[in-house]
Amino acid sequence: MTTILFYLFSALLLGAALFVVLNRNPIYSVVGLVFAFMNLAAMYFLLEAYFIGVLQVLVYAGAIMVLFLFVVMLLNVQPDRPHPGLIHPDRWWFGIMALIFVSLFLLLIGQGVRALLTSPAEDAAGMGSVADVGEALFTSFLLPFEIASLLLTVALIGTVFLAKKKV
Amino acid sequence: MSNIQSLTYFLPELILTSSAMVIILTDVFFRGRNRNRLIWLLSLVALGIAAIFLLLQTTPPDAIFYGALAVDPYSRFFKWIFLLATVVIYVVSPYSRELDNNPRHEYYLFMLLVVFGLFLMASALDLIIVYLSIEIVSIGSFVLAGFLKQERLSNESSLKYVIYGALSSGVMLYGLSLLFGIAGSTNVFDIQAALSGVPDKAHLTLAVALLLVLTGFGYKIAMVPFHFWTPDVYQGAPTTITAYLSVAPKAAGFALALRILGITFGSSPDMNLGEWLPVEGLPFGTLIAIFSAATMTVGNIIAIQQSSVKRLLAYSSIAHAGYMLMAAAILNAQAVSAIMFYLAVYLFMNLGAFLVAIFIHNRYGYDEIEEWKGLGFQAPAVAVAMGIFLFSLTGLPPTAGFVGKVYLFSVLIEAQQFWWLAVLGVLNSVVSLYYYMRILKAMFLDSEPTGERISGHPALSGTILLLMIPVLLFGVYWSPLMNLVRSSLEFFSPGM
Repeated sequence: MTTILFYLFSALLLGAALFVVLNRNPIYSVVGLVFAFMNLAAMYFLLEAYFIGVLQVLVYAGAIMVLFLFVVMLLNVQPDRPHPGLIHPDRWWFGIMALIFVSLFLLLIGQGVRALLTSPAEDAAGMGSVADVGEALFTSFLLPFEIASLLLTVALIGTVFLAKKKV
Repeated sequence: MSNIQSLTYFLPELILTSSAMVIILTDVFFRGRNRNRLIWLLSLVALGIAAIFLLLQTTPPDAIFYGALAVDPYSRFFKWIFLLATVVIYVVSPYSRELDNNPRHEYYLFMLLVVFGLFLMASALDLIIVYLSIEIVSIGSFVLAGFLKQERLSNESSLKYVIYGALSSGVMLYGLSLLFGIAGSTNVFDIQAALSGVPDKAHLTLAVALLLVLTGFGYKIAMVPFHFWTPDVYQGAPTTITAYLSVAPKAAGFALALRILGITFGSSPDMNLGEWLPVEGLPFGTLIAIFSAATMTVGNIIAIQQSSVKRLLAYSSIAHAGYMLMAAAILNAQAVSAIMFYLAVYLFMNLGAFLVAIFIHNRYGYDEIEEWKGLGFQAPAVAVAMGIFLFSLTGLPPTAGFVGKVYLFSVLIEAQQFWWLAVLGVLNSVVSLYYYMRILKAMFLDSEPTGERISGHPALSGTILLLMIPVLLFGVYWSPLMNLVRSSLEFFSPGM
């Protein structure tokens, strides 16, 4: 059952991701991305990582993507016209870079898969529950947590400072 | 050590953050005419208190917050460098005309927060802290670089900084996540332990992770080929901030990279020193040597063509990162102490050179070499000081820069490795002599004495002359500084 669901969600995820990249209308792309994130959340649930699954829905699909959608709508982005310039003889090194990157990425994934086949990861069921995350966050990871809040303060004040018209 | 216990070791940082909060509130509730002055004074007092707490901190090396941060002489040495650079910039900032059209309270606030980030960078032992501290410093620097909102160059500098910064952060984060994936922990000592037992098949992943992390660190110290942001950011940012960025975050980048990479990829976990362990197919020392050669050569060659002094000093600061990387190619105690010594010397000479650039900018509003003509007759003391800073940057005796460079070269020679790099380093110093001397020529030779005198604010000229003292002093009597560096060469390690 889990295997069937895994393949179902994977197929939907890949389809949604392709839709995001190939669609010319940015609004449809954003909606496609929301759908992709939903499927990703389903995969997390299948892995029994419930907390991160919920966060995926709440934070990514919910908050961040809605923000994206608003920005795209407010900026009134027009559907992309086909531009022939992307594949151009002058840009051959784009292709080479992409090739290097893709082959490196495939190599990495292949290696990871091979390592997992010989020595599978331990079953980490039950890890990553809300209680675990909460405890880690307020004991051994309290300092990073507080520093992250300071980082957000810095970013917030900085943005306001740079964005306001009158200093 | 638990969180509550750790707080007593965290006092300098706590002072910095709490005073930043006080400044934010002062900014909101105090609307008087002397607001800038008040906030300036508050921040200086905060830095002073932080310095006192740092001075009182004499405990043996320890890790606080469950092993997230190290409290050891090594991090304290760098914290002193940051504090010194910050205080110098604070003292001269009110007298820089560039900043006159902007209220400066946010400027002081962001500098305090950046100092906090720098402190964390010098003592981070955990990948999460590494990332967060680099981000605090970067975001603070983005804002500071774009501080002159009416000027297009400053806006451009900020935007370019943000884009390059975001990209390199992303790349570095990918590398850190791979490291975490291989080792299963974010603590560097756990990673070091896990890496020594890595299954062979993950070695390629490890090499990729190392390269990606190196990209992020390389961006912070402006290592070629991750240096593209440097000239534009340095030129557009207010000169005070340029001076700051060229010294403090660079020192922090070195502190962080030497510690984190030294622990995870070095051969000896006890002192974090020894030499670089080759990751399969990736001789790390040679890699650093190549980066070092590229960094100093590119920095020096492009510096020749610059007509703007700020851009020239920007490229020269890239070249100096290359000199320091030269020693980093060999990771032993001598190499790390040479880098620390050079960073301390670099602090004085580079800040000094930039302060003279502020002096000129205050007078003329430009920073082309043309404007420096005849300075030797108009402001002899400042011009002589600039001459000494330039001699020191080139590495001519009897200045501190010479001693620093001798230490850097001696690392390579005593290790009997990378001879070609040492030769290249010497050749590069010769190249740098040419463009530094162009400034000197403009100041002393290119104009007749006119009798006109220019003088800056005493605080500015005084700071310039004060910075000249250590450059000369450490050129002839450097053992106190070297002793300080040697005694700071004590790291936290869990086996102790």
